[in-house]
Parts: sequence; structure tokens; C-alpha cells
Amino acid sequence: MNSAISVRHLTKDFRIGIRGLKLRAVDDLSLEIPRGQVYGLLGPNGCGKSTTLKVVLGLVSATAGEISILGEPSATSAARRRTGFLPEAPYFHKFLTGRELVRYCAQLSGVAASELDAAVEDALGLAAMNEAAGRPIGTYSKGMLQRIGFAQAVVHDPELIILDEPTAGVDPVGSASIGRMIHAMRDKGKTVVLCSHLLGQVEQVCDRVAIMDRGKLVLEGAVEDVLSRRDRHVMTIEAMTSAARTAAEAALEAHGAKITSVTHPRRSLEDLFRELVTGSRDA
Amino acid sequence: MNDSLRRTLWISRVTFLEAVRQRFFAFLLVLSAAMVLSSVSLRVFDFGHGELKFIADFGFGGMFFFGSVLAVVMTAQLFFSEIDNKTALTLLAKPLSRPEFLLGKFFGAWAVLGVFVVVLAGLQGVVLWSREQELIAAAEQAGRIPTTFSIVGLCQLVLLQWLRLGVVISIVLAISSLARTFLFTVVVGSLAVVAGQLQWIAQDAFLRPTDSPAYGAFLWVSTRLIPNLQQFNLADALVLGSSVVEDGALIGVCFSGLAYLVAYLTLGSLIFRQREI
Repeated sequence: MNSAISVRHLTKDFRIGIRGLKLRAVDDLSLEIPRGQVYGLLGPNGCGKSTTLKVVLGLVSATAGEISILGEPSATSAARRRTGFLPEAPYFHKFLTGRELVRYCAQLSGVAASELDAAVEDALGLAAMNEAAGRPIGTYSKGMLQRIGFAQAVVHDPELIILDEPTAGVDPVGSASIGRMIHAMRDKGKTVVLCSHLLGQVEQVCDRVAIMDRGKLVLEGAVEDVLSRRDRHVMTIEAMTSAARTAAEAALEAHGAKITSVTHPRRSLEDLFRELVTGSRDA
Repeated sequence: MNDSLRRTLWISRVTFLEAVRQRFFAFLLVLSAAMVLSSVSLRVFDFGHGELKFIADFGFGGMFFFGSVLAVVMTAQLFFSEIDNKTALTLLAKPLSRPEFLLGKFFGAWAVLGVFVVVLAGLQGVVLWSREQELIAAAEQAGRIPTTFSIVGLCQLVLLQWLRLGVVISIVLAISSLARTFLFTVVVGSLAVVAGQLQWIAQDAFLRPTDSPAYGAFLWVSTRLIPNLQQFNLADALVLGSSVVEDGALIGVCFSGLAYLVAYLTLGSLIFRQREI
């Protein structure tokens, strides 16, 4: 009952062509996604990430296996009521305004009429879409589409939010904005499942990750655990002279340690880009 | 209002808004309206059947033909736009069941065709009424009995045509829930409409004795599977009073139409539940 999503021995086969050739998209996958964390589902294109999410949401039936969401069998209306979903490259009715879309989704998700206005404005505020909410969706940029998609996913205050490639095609500034929304959700105690192949972003926002390849789970664990190399250490030193370096090497060698490389720290290109263009966010 | 009905209505509302914004709907509406209006100037080609009958036949023919085209193409387009653009993914990930989604599509499309039928029938009524006034004046001068039309009959015909188009929409949705492509749905849906128009031939054949049990079984199945769309064409009897509609016949036609509508929507829902989005 502590898992937000529990997947046990999930297998999904697709039948292809007239002869019904079998393509195995997910192969005996078992996962336990804990509540209240940001969970990254990683893998190359075609590894079965999106199919897994679709099975979890009941959009596609499983060939074998059991899935539950927040303790309820997946694909039930009760489970989906507590779940929000942002599909990959979301497309919405272009003639609706952002506010109308979020309202429409809130109504479909069962938000009470008395709470509707507040829920819609909260979701728009969280996605930083208040100002553009009156414009038709057809006029939105890609980043705005993702943000309004995020707003429609969280408008009914779900306990579990599933995001399929939420930053695909979005610039680093928009991407950082979505990262902040994910953190805001975690701070509210929500579980966020993030499906992506943008490893840098996943590393920044996720608590745990699972890596899939060819339909199978190849690695699962806390980000800190899977990325740390416990046998290596990094020190950042200011104003190091060659004499200081020689002395440091000698001192370390005296204790059996050895310096294997000395480099200058670098900031990432993404950090530099965000630092330079933060003022030009689309609105 | 319960949650299920509310969700269905929200889907139908957005479906309606999407459909009435389509150029295809506007194009067919204008084309049909032009056909109704042009019937006045074309009435010289009435082939001796009377002006009002010619105007009614021409106008209702346009309503029937373009209404059928709209019911098949627009319904298929509304369904596949949700599937192909993946908006269905967003919607069906919410606590919305697939039958609710399909019913929402149905009611949205049916409402659009309701607008189509009412606008054209209103125009047709105005054209018939204005010509009727001229014919009455001319008949009084000549001492003849004038030909007239029935507004009540026109309203009844509007309901019948709307129901007929509802049956067509339900058939197209049942096909859509199974089909993979828009084109396939339009082709098979169009063939179903043609089969419905010709169903009376199978009905006639079924009533005649046959030696072949297989042929008899085929006729039995086809006369029950395919609705008789000709039974809704009561324009002459209802609007022009050229023949008498028996008591209960109108209700019988309505019940038959509603039964097919419900049956095809149920079938579509059952198929759509199994579909992988």
C-alpha cells in the first residue's frame, strides 16, 4: 500500500500485420514506485517506457501481469481520478483557450462546480500560464503547450502525476520551468513519474530512477546510489599553486591515496544558457 | 445530474464546438441552402408533378444527401481527429469511460446535424410558404383548389430526418471504433448508407418464399442488421399530404430508428472498450 504504482511481471505484446507477428514491447517488468517521490523512467526510444505508462493508465491492455495505482487496480475510474497525465507531445483542441481546456479537463476529472474556478486558476498559476490563459491554444509555443498540458494534468489535485517526455522539444528555460513545477509537486507530497531520455534533467529532478532497455528493466535505485562512485572523491580548491599541489600529492601519498586527475571545474552549457537567457521566457 | 452524464455532455459540447467550426460543415450547409433556394427558380422543371412537390423533393433531397455525407464524413473525422492527434490519450487517462467518450462524440455530432436539419427545414418552410401564398392567390382567381403544405408535417419530417441521421452517426461510430483509418470508415460508412437505402429490396425478397435456407438466412440477417433508411422518407405524405400515414406508423418508424441507434452505439462501445489507443 506504500507504492504509488506497483507493476508485477508486466508483459505487453503487440500483434503486427495480417499474420499477427508478435512484437514484445515490455518483457516481465516489475516495479514499485514509492509515494511522494519523483521517479524517472529512462531508456532509449522504443524501449517500452511509454507503453508501460499507457498500460498503467489503462489506455492499453496488458498481455500479462498486474498493475495497481495507489492501491487500486489500474484502468479503473477510481484510480484515474487520483492520477494526472501529460502525454508526450501533447495536442489539444486548438480552438479552446488555455483556460477553457483546463476547465474542461477539471470537469472531466470530477472537480466540484463550487471549486472549479479556484482549481483552474491554481493550476494555471502553478504552470505560470495565467497571462496567456485567455489565448486560443493554437497560438501557443511548444513550451506553453507543455505548461498548459501540465496544468490540465494537475487541475484536479491528483496524488500521482505521470509525465511522458514533458520537456521534449522545449528550450532549456522552459525545461527548467517544468523542473520547478515538478519540484513544487513533490513539495506538496505528490508522486511524480517522469518518463524521459533527457538524462541531465532526470538527474536534476528525480529521487529514484529505473532504466529500461528492450522492454526489460536493467537498473533501478535512488539517483544518489546509482550515480555515486564511493571509491572516488572530488575536491574543489581555490588558488592552488604548483608547490601546493606537490605538497598535497605528497601528503595524500603518505596515507596511501593517489590523485588520478586534476582538472578545472566547468559549468554546464545548460547552466550558462539559462543564466544568459532567463529574461526571454515565452509568455 | 450524475457524473457519467455530465462527462458525456462535456465531451459532446466540445465535439459540437469543434464540428461547427469546420469549413466542411459550413460548406455543406451553404451548398444545401443554395439547393433549397434554387428550387424556386428551377420549378419550371417540375415534370407536371406540381410546384410545391418539386420544391419539397428538391430541398429534402439536398437535406437527405448532404446530411448523409455530413453524418458519415464529419463523424469519422471527429472520431479520428481525437485518435490521430492523441487528444484521446489525454481524455481517456481521466476518469472518463470509453462508452462515455463514444456517447459524447455521438451527441456532439447529432447536435450538429440537428442544427443542419433545422436550418435547412426552416429555409425549406419559408420557400414553400412563400410559393404556397402565390399559388393560393392564383388558384382563387382561377377558381381551383389550391395545393398547400403542412407545417406540422414539416416539423415531423425534421424529427424523422434527424433520427435517420442519428442512426447513420451511430453506424459510423460503430465502424470507427473498429477501423484503423479515416478513409476506411468513410468508405464503409457510405456503403452502409447505400445498403440502408436499398434495404427494402432485401425486405421484399425476404417476404417471398424461398427454397434455399442459406439465402433465407442471409436475407433474415441482412434485414435485421441493416436499418431501412427509406422508411424515414415520408416527405410527400407528411408535408404535402399526398398520402395518409397510418396511425402508429410514425411511432413505429421512430422506435425502429431508436432501436438501431441504441444497438449500434452499444456495439461501438463494446468494440471501443477493447481498442488500444
